[in-house]
This record gives sequence, C-alpha cells and structure tokens, in this order.
Amino acid sequence: MFRNYIRIAWRNLLKRKVFTAINILGLAIGFGSSILIYLFLSYHLSFDQFHNNPDRIYRMVTEEHRDLIDYEASVPPAFSKAFRENYEYAEKVAKVVVQYGSIIDTETNGDIRKFKEDVAFIEEDFFKIFNFPLLDGSNNISLSEPNTAVITEEFAEKMFGSTLVVGKTFVLENDKAIKITGVLQNLPSTTFLKEQIFVSFVNLEDFFEFAASESWGGITSNLQCYSLLKPNQNVESIEDALLALPKEHRPDSKNKHVYKLQPLSDMHFNPLYGGIDPVLLWVFGIIGAFLLAIACINFINISTAQAFYRSKEIGVRKVLGSFKAHLFWQFLSETFVISLFAVMLGILFAALFLPSLNNLFELELSIQSLLTIEFFGFLLLVLASVAFLSGSYPGILMSRIVPVLALKGKLSHSDTGGNTTRKVLVVAQFAISIALIAATLIISRQIEYATNSDLGFDKESIVMVEVPVDLEPIQYEALKDRLQRIPNVENITFCLSSPGGSENNWGTSIKYNNRPENEEFSIQAKIGDEHFIETFDLTLVAGRNFFKSDSITEVVVNEKFGEKVGVTSPDELLGKTIEVNGASIKATIVGVVGDFHDVSFAEEIQPAFIAGNPNWYGEIGLKINRVNTKETLEKIEQHWSEAFSGYIFDYRFLDERVADEYEAEQRYLSLSKVFSALAILIGCLGLYGLILFFVGLRTKEIGIRKVLGSNVANILALFTMDFFKLILIAGILATPIAWYLMEQWLQGYAYRTEIHWWIFALAIVSIMVITLITISYQTLKVAVTSPVKSLRTE
Amino acid sequence: MLLQLHNVFKWVNSGGQRIFLLKDINLQVQQGEFISIMGPSGSGKSTLLNVIGMLDGFDEGEYQFLDESVHNLKEKHRANLYKEYIGFVFQSYHLLDELTVKENLEMPLLYKKFKGSERKAMVADMLDRFNIVGKKDLFPAQLSGGQQQLVGIARALISNPKLILADEPTGNLNSKQGEEIMGLFKQLNEEGVTIIQVTHSEKNADYGSRIINLLDGRMI
Ligand SMILES: Nc1ncnc2c1ncn2[C@@H]1O[C@H](COP(=O)(O)OP(=O)(O)O)[C@@H](O)[C@H]1O
Ligand SMILES: [Mg+2]
Repeated sequence: MFRNYIRIAWRNLLKRKVFTAINILGLAIGFGSSILIYLFLSYHLSFDQFHNNPDRIYRMVTEEHRDLIDYEASVPPAFSKAFRENYEYAEKVAKVVVQYGSIIDTETNGDIRKFKEDVAFIEEDFFKIFNFPLLDGSNNISLSEPNTAVITEEFAEKMFGSTLVVGKTFVLENDKAIKITGVLQNLPSTTFLKEQIFVSFVNLEDFFEFAASESWGGITSNLQCYSLLKPNQNVESIEDALLALPKEHRPDSKNKHVYKLQPLSDMHFNPLYGGIDPVLLWVFGIIGAFLLAIACINFINISTAQAFYRSKEIGVRKVLGSFKAHLFWQFLSETFVISLFAVMLGILFAALFLPSLNNLFELELSIQSLLTIEFFGFLLLVLASVAFLSGSYPGILMSRIVPVLALKGKLSHSDTGGNTTRKVLVVAQFAISIALIAATLIISRQIEYATNSDLGFDKESIVMVEVPVDLEPIQYEALKDRLQRIPNVENITFCLSSPGGSENNWGTSIKYNNRPENEEFSIQAKIGDEHFIETFDLTLVAGRNFFKSDSITEVVVNEKFGEKVGVTSPDELLGKTIEVNGASIKATIVGVVGDFHDVSFAEEIQPAFIAGNPNWYGEIGLKINRVNTKETLEKIEQHWSEAFSGYIFDYRFLDERVADEYEAEQRYLSLSKVFSALAILIGCLGLYGLILFFVGLRTKEIGIRKVLGSNVANILALFTMDFFKLILIAGILATPIAWYLMEQWLQGYAYRTEIHWWIFALAIVSIMVITLITISYQTLKVAVTSPVKSLRTE
Repeated sequence: MLLQLHNVFKWVNSGGQRIFLLKDINLQVQQGEFISIMGPSGSGKSTLLNVIGMLDGFDEGEYQFLDESVHNLKEKHRANLYKEYIGFVFQSYHLLDELTVKENLEMPLLYKKFKGSERKAMVADMLDRFNIVGKKDLFPAQLSGGQQQLVGIARALISNPKLILADEPTGNLNSKQGEEIMGLFKQLNEEGVTIIQVTHSEKNADYGSRIINLLDGRMI
C-alpha cells in the first residue's frame, strides 16, 4: 500500500512540475535556515559543558551599589585568597588576570619574531577547576614557579612552528624570559576561555600591580575569579556569608559591593556579566519556526488550491472503494516525498551559506559537527512535523470531497473548500514579512541615529595609537614635537582614552565642594593633556581649559556633572574643588564642557572630568588632514616606533571605533535583512504558485471580460486588488505587534529614535510592490492573450 | 430480489421552491436482469442511477438492497455496501491519468484487503479476459476511447460485483466501439451479472431485458 502511495505521489509531483518546484524550493529554504539556526543554537547551548563538575563551578562576581547598580564579572584582587583561606565552601579557588595585547618575542635559530597577544596570568588551581588538558591528556600543570607558562598547541605552532616546545622560552613585554612547561590541547571554541598563553600568577606584579595585590580597593575587569565548590553547597547562604567581606574591608566606601556566585552555565547567557543575550537565541529560534511556517503555508495554499484539479481523481477513488483515511494518508505521503527532497536541498543550502553565518558572527561552525544523533533527531522531528502540518489540512479537505459532484464535474472551486483558510494563511505570511521589514527599518534607523548624531565630540579623521609603556614627561614632549611636525597632523593629545568607543573606562569616587560625604554616583576620569578638548573638539560652555601642569590641580567637568550635584548653571561650578578617587586627586574646576557620548547610545551619559596626568596616558589621539593619509600614517608609525622600540604599531580611526560599539546592532541588522529577504522570497514563491492557479481558473472569465471590453489594466487590477486587501489586513495586524516588540528593543537605549507610523506604511507598500511584481507576469500573460483563444478551449 | 425502491422522492430546494429530481419511483430489480433507463436529457436518469449506486441520497421513500434497508444505514455502512457489491462504469471512463492500465485495474483491490500476489493474479486474469495484456503498461491517454472504456469496465468488474451501473457507457464512443461494449455487457449478463445502464439509443436498449422510461423524474 505504502509503496503504491509513494509511486503515485512521485508521478503526481512530476506531473505538476512548477508547483512541485515551488513547494520544494520554499520548504528547502525553510529547512536550510532551520539547520543553520540549529547549528547556531546548539553551538551556544554547548558552551562549557565539557568540564568535570560543571554544576559545582562558579564565577565570583560583584554588584556595585551606588546610585545605580553596576554588574561586574569580577571581584577585588584580594577576594580569591580570602575565599580560599577564610571560608570552608570551596574545594578550589583561582583567579585569572588577562593582559590584553602583550608583546611576546620568540627566537628560533636566530630568527626573532614578535607577537601581540592576550596573556592570562593564572593561579595554580585554575586547571584543576576546569578541564583543559595537556597534550598527553593529563592536567599535571604547575605554574607555582615564577617565569613559567603553558601555551596551547595552536599557539605553539604559531610561535615555533612545532608543538615540541616544552623547555623553550619566550620574552614577555620585552622584559621577562618565560619558560614553557607544558602544551595544552587546543581549546574548544565553546568555552569562555579565549587566551592561549597562561603565565604564572607570580609574574603578574611586574605588569599589573593592582591586580596582583591583595587589595579590596576596587575592581578591574581584567580579573576573574573562579571556584569549584565542595559538593552540596547552598549558594544563597554562601552569598549571605560573603556580605561580611565588604563590611570588613571597605566599610566607608560609597560603592557598596555585594559578591555573588554566578553558575558556570549562566556565564555564556547573562548579558549583565558580559554574556550573550538569550533573547537573541529565542528570536533566532522563533524566526526559524516562522520561515518554516511560511513555507508550510505555501504548501497548504498550493495544495488546497490543487484539490480542485484533483477532485476527479478523488471522486473516482472514493467510488472505487477508497476510504477517507486512505486518501488522507495518500496525500500525506505526497507531502512526505516533497519534504524529503526539500530536506536534502535544505542541507545543501545550509552548507552553502554556513560560511556567511560564520563570517557574520565570527564563528567557526562546521557542517560536519551536524553528524550527531541529536541533529538527526531534530531533522526527523522537523521533517515529520512539517509533513504533517502542511499535509494534513489539504488531506482532510480532499478526503471530504463528495464523489458524485466531483464526477459530474460540477464541483466549483469554492466547493473544494479551503478558500477562507487560504486567505487567513496568506495574511499570516504577509504579516510576518511586513513585521520583519519594519524591524529592519527600525534597527537601521537606530544605528544610523547612533552613528550619525552629534556625539558631542569630533570623531572624524582622528587616528588613535597606543602608548604601550609609560614615558617620562620629557619623552612625551619630544614625541609630541616630532609628531607635530608631520605635515598633515593638525592636533595631538596624549590621553587615557578617547571619548566614545573607549577601551579604558575608569569610573571612580567623587567628593564635591568639600561636602562631607562622597557623592552617590561615580565619575568618569577622562585623563588627557591640555590638547584633549581641542583635539576632540569638545565644546567649552563655561570657564576655560586647564593649564599644563605636572600634577592635577585644575579640571574641566561636563554638564552632566553639574546636573548630578544639583547645580543648574555651569558657571556656578567654576572655582569649586573636587576630590576624586579617595583624596588622590584634589583640584579646582576651571571649565565646563558640553556633554559628549563616551559610551554607546544604550547608556546614559555619565558625569566626567578631564584632567592631565602623564602617568596614566594610554593612547595618543591625532587629528589629521585626510590628504595623503597613507603617507601621514607611515610617518606616524616611524616616529612611534622610534619612541617605543620593541612594540608593535597599531592604529584605529576613532569613527570606526565608535561604529564598533554598534557591532551587535549591525549583526541584528544583517540578520533582519537576511530573514526578511528569506521570508519575502518564500512568500513570493507561494504567491507565484497561487496566481498561476487563479489565472488558470479564471482564463475563461478573463476571455469573456475582454470580449466585453476590459483592458489589460482592468484585468491586472482584478487580480491585484484581492491581494492588496489581504496585505492591508496583514499590515493592520502586524503593525501593533511589531511596534510593541521594537519599542521593547528601543527601550534598551538611553538615546533612541522614535517609531513612526510611516515605517509600517513603507513596509506595507513595499510588500504591495513586491506582490505586484510577482503576480504581474502570469496575469499580464493571460490579460494580453487573445480572448478567442481562451474561449475556444471550452 | 437484488434491490427494491419504494415510493422514492428526491428534491432540492431552490428559491423557496421544491424542485423534484425524482418523483415516486417504484422499482424492483431481480438478480440477473439487464435494465436500460431511457429518457430525455435532464429527466433524472443519472440521479436515479446514483441513488441506486448509493453515491447520492434521497429524501423520502425506502430502498432495500439485498437484505439491507439502505435508507436506514449510516453513511459509512452504505459506502461499505456499494464498495462490496456494485461496480461503476462512466460515460467519460474516469480512469486515473497518472496510473497505467494495470495500476488502474489494481486500484480498487488496494482498498480491500487483498495480498499483493492475489492482486497480481486478479489483474492478470482481467487483462486476459479483456484481451488487453499488451496494453497493461500504457497510460490512459495512450489508448483509444473504446479501449479506455474497456479498461473502465474491467476495473468495475475486478472485485466481482453483483451489480454493474453504467451511465451512458457508449456516449463518447463511435458506433462500432459502442457495439463491442454492448456485446461485452450482454456476455457479462449471461454470466450472471446484473446490469443497469443509462442510454439514449434504442439499439443499445435492445441488448437489455427491460426498459425504464423517465420523464421529469417520474417513471412512465
Ligand atoms: N444537486 C442538484 N441540485 C439541483 N439540481 C440538480 C441537482 N442534481 C441534478 N439536478 C437537476 O436535476 C435534473 C436531472 O438531472 P440528471 O439526473 O443529471 O439528468 P439526466 O437524465 O440528463 O441524467 C437536471 O435538470 C439537473 O439540472
Ligand atoms: Mg445524465
């Protein structure tokens, strides 16, 4: 029986090639996207699943309670030792401090090579908590000795072209010779750990004193602390016990620390602590389901429309003894055959487009990783549910056909049913497309807004280069002098970090105008020399710039600061004193600048001060004239390399850095573009199928209309009006839902665009235009056919 | 007795008016009869045949088929009844275009619980009997009208029905093909199959043993 079904299914499919092709193609696109989305989701869901006791591993994190709560995936440097020695909860505790962009030199047979790499300084137990084995599979790693390191296989190859490197040395930061004591197996891509070089924690004090110290004074995001708890611990009671730590060690701080234990499984998915937003995964999953749904809708629509053509066959079968169930299963097997082909084509699509997905998310997913039981289970499930969802309704309709009428040829198109359903489904398809187009428009408007608005500073034509080691003030002067003399360099400033797209944010405590207490908020320190304001073109709204000085005695603050301390006019701030970072900076406010967006539009502008201090310069900002940029950059590099010999020159334009702040948004944008395009593509395939059918159905009617004087435009309108009505309904349904969801998304931004009704109107109109284009070929074809021809077929 | 219609009425309501399609039909059919139904176009011949074949219901009266009261049966029972005892032959053959001759013949058997080997034997039998072995792998479109109707009849016969209902079986055929089909009916009837046919031609009606005349849904 089943073989018979399949055979007939096969012939039926061959007979209606166009419809079959439309169905297979639509479903294949749906399947292909689902497979990619599956890959993406399973990649994220498999993060750090390979450790030995994943449910006992925690990261220690801090909630900083000031006027607002900040969430830091870090703890003060002293935390690790205290938790290990003064409490009984943990089996192992280890902290890791990462130094980004460290310089590493290797020498192989006199050939010296330089690398700029992130280096992790780790406490010994790190590799006992986590499962990152050595090449021989053991975790026999001891980094208790200073000047020792382990590196990954991959990095060993990169450094020395070999993995037999135990005993070899490299030079760290042009300073320390470090000996390699072990080679780790390559880290899986699904782990939080991104570094490749792990150096004894003992060495850290030479490079980052604060992080190496036993201080409770603050937090650096370079530090992370992990712990393997003893079995059967109650996390809440541990967190309660930890409340004693800030009371003891930072009793007077306005920045109240609360230490928390973040489960390993939460690390990848908690955006508060730098994880990805799980909403993204949900959105992905739902959109995958939508794409499949749109393809199923095509299938249902085309099949129910076809029921009319197949009514004779069904009538005959019924008269000859077929039961409803037979017909139902027969139809389902046709659906199954189509879905099977679609799955195969879908896998092909997925393989073709995987590189683009990898590119977009900077991933290295491979199609081979699909060869798992889970994936085949997933595929089978999707295949079965798609075949069933799209096959059963038309199956039921067809099995209901009344044989006498069918055989008499008296069935009209509406008798075979499904007309209303078809309309509802088409509306659903249109609604999804309209919502996706609107989302795309809104996301791109927000990005446009964030990158093209006035940020309060000038980001064009500014080159940022690093200051890799501190120089003496006199050396800074010399370097500045030389850079100044490059023809197209207009302005130079040494600073901790640029405004906008900053890498070195430093927020610290602030006491204003000799008030007795520190303020509730923290202040951003924009350390920069006296050319900072001029170079970045900040606007002075009151007072003057600070004068050059050896220590900080004068500062400029932003308007936000005035707002926060409750001063209405910037002029009132002038002459007042502030104490910053405990009492380590005491200075007088001499000027006020207008607010500038130091961080992305997702966050509020924060109070900030600008002051010069050569000990904290991390970057040089150069405003250049964009003629002969290449030559200018070469000159800058030449002078830089003389001043910082042994380091690797790197530059970045500030506008690019600001744009990078919106990397996530750019991804959303690319995705919503791709998804809308796919939704529209599948939808159009379905429309094409439907119009093919309708035109076939009404050929005679069109003939008669033409004889009676209709012109081509009338006939085109006849077909398009029906669809336009459906599109309008879809638009009315999609608008409030999409509006609400996108409003939710925009709420994540402190500075945002508004949603306008015309965005939705635009989406609706574009769907109308696309629909018109899709259906006009078939419609015009019959509309221009001579009526004699279409009537003669009767 | 094979079947009996007693005071059967069938009507449709149209614009508040009752239009009668069948009026007070009384008909008894014995096993082995060969009956021809005649009458002008629109007189209700097809309607009557469909009622007899249980493809269509009626509004008043009684219908006895073998021992069953058809008017009291549930739809599903009725379907089972006609599937077991009745074979249909249509004016426009109604072969399935995407199936070969052999597969068309096999189709009714698929819906009854025959084994594959049994089905093969029965199909081979029919192909032999109708002398169409050479055509078994052709599709309907590759056959002449007469040949298609031959297949149609073979398909109606394959599950051994007691009654064959044929609605203008020669209506689409030329006279020579028509004669062949009628000869075949005659032969089947002699072998014991009961036949009821609708026809417009006196000559075809003469093959039968009894003629029923219809006018405006009434037997005259
Ligand atoms: N379901 C129906 N509804 C309304 N009128 C019908 C229906 N079925 C048949 N008729 C009408 O009943 C009459 C008899 O039809 P039919 O039995 O097909 O005639 P014929 O004798 O030509 O086979 C015709 O006028 C036909 O239009
Ligand atoms: Mg008729």
